[in-house]
Amino acid sequence: MISLREVSLVYPNGTRALDGIDLEIAKGSFVFLVGHSGTGKSSLLRLLYREQKPSSGLVVVDGVEIGKLKRSKIPELRRKVGVVFQDFKLLLDKTIWENVAFALQVTGARTRDVMRQVPRVLDLVGLAHKSRVFPNELSGGEQQRAAIARALVNNPKILLCDEPTGNLDPVNTNEVVDLLHRINLKGTTVVVATHNALVVDRMRRRVIRLEHGKVLADDERGLYHGIESDIRPDGEDLALAARVRNGLGQDPILSE
Amino acid sequence: MDWGKIRFFLSEVWRNFTRNIIMQVTAIGTVTVMILLLGTFLFAQQTLGRIGGDQIAKIEISVFMTDKATPADAKRLVARLRSDPRVKSVTYVPKAEGLRQMRERLKGQLDTSLLTSNPLPDALRIRVADPNQVHAVAAAAGKMPDVAKVEYQRDFVERLLRLYDVMSKVGLAFIVLLVVTAAIIISNTIRLTVYARRREIAIMQLVGASNIYIRLPFICEGFLDGLIGAVLAVLLLGIGRWQLWPKLVSSLPFFPLRDAGSDFGTFALQLLGVGAIVGIVASWISVGRYLRT
Repeated sequence: MISLREVSLVYPNGTRALDGIDLEIAKGSFVFLVGHSGTGKSSLLRLLYREQKPSSGLVVVDGVEIGKLKRSKIPELRRKVGVVFQDFKLLLDKTIWENVAFALQVTGARTRDVMRQVPRVLDLVGLAHKSRVFPNELSGGEQQRAAIARALVNNPKILLCDEPTGNLDPVNTNEVVDLLHRINLKGTTVVVATHNALVVDRMRRRVIRLEHGKVLADDERGLYHGIESDIRPDGEDLALAARVRNGLGQDPILSE
Repeated sequence: MDWGKIRFFLSEVWRNFTRNIIMQVTAIGTVTVMILLLGTFLFAQQTLGRIGGDQIAKIEISVFMTDKATPADAKRLVARLRSDPRVKSVTYVPKAEGLRQMRERLKGQLDTSLLTSNPLPDALRIRVADPNQVHAVAAAAGKMPDVAKVEYQRDFVERLLRLYDVMSKVGLAFIVLLVVTAAIIISNTIRLTVYARRREIAIMQLVGASNIYIRLPFICEGFLDGLIGAVLAVLLLGIGRWQLWPKLVSSLPFFPLRDAGSDFGTFALQLLGVGAIVGIVASWISVGRYLRT
């Protein structure tokens, strides 16, 4: 489904975001991308929906070679790949129903399909009863579920999530993760970039750890702290809190 | 027909259009002023063109023949002039006919019965097809045998031709300037809408909307700016055409103003077309620039 060969990504300012990545992600799998901020998790996701082109190497998503994809063919790829972000990116002047329907309408879908698909995904994410509500009237978790519904309404084969629980409290985080799990069970390939140790450890799925743009570890049933602490002194309190609460691993900063 | 799709599209256009009313009013107003000036200018040019055309059509070259030329010589000369493609018509005026015409023209101003003999030579009157050719034809006629003298309104012709030339150049520059101004203001308005909707555009791109689908509501917005502005201008021009123009014509009886024709409908459609096209092109450019970067 997703295949990367010797992929490097160098930004115009000289930053080497990805450095010789080799990766295979099978159809229907569930994968976590973990690592410090700035290790290339988001860059890697951006390659997969062709927000970025690789500087070198081969990126293939569902048989499409990203580096050679024509601009006019990008929309076709994007309909096969749903994307979810930390900040939801919902349109605040549209209701939840309109936000989800928007993704179909702007791809020229028939009204009949819109009327069928939107209730289906809203039902799937558990927001059928909130379809007439505006995003600001929802909790963060509900907003993220609405964003996931929007990403799913085109029936994508792949769902990419960039820090999907970054703005959520533990209860909402669990809801969103359960939802992602259910989506995966229905056959969608799910790739989640996250800092949230709790999420990773609960799922026990494949964990790909990036560092300095390279794959540092790739465990089939991994844990967040498979190798070392991910907590920097200046942030990541959610992961920290979770770890402290769960007594997972010794934190070098805390133990100092 | 998928009415839901159409309704969604129209609501997107309407959302764009009403997002920044003040900018929209500015853009429409600019188009109105542009079309109004353009229409007035074209109308003035057309009217002056008609006046000039009337005058030019009247320009004649008079060729006076030598005294000893016979009617047979005159006939030969007429045939020779008629074979010139630049010449529209040649009329032979024998001296007797010339005198009769002069008497007619001067009736009541001069007592022509005092004339006991005919002082006029035989003459030819030439009309040319293209006013620019008057000089050349006159010069050519002057060199022909049996021709004593060639007369025509040289100054008038030259001034008229120069005026024509200057007017069309100034007019063209003026029109280009107006169109560019309107295009810049419309494209600025569209750019503001694009900026206001950048989140929506980003999401459209994310979920795989095709480029034309993203562009179309903005193109329609520019089209509406151009069209509404042009409609307003055409209404104002219509008022001018039917309310002010007759008053102007009747207050200037000595000036040879003619009715500028009844094809106002065609003229109006052309102006509407100009407004719409300027709007479409301006918005196309400004959205295109945003989507590429």
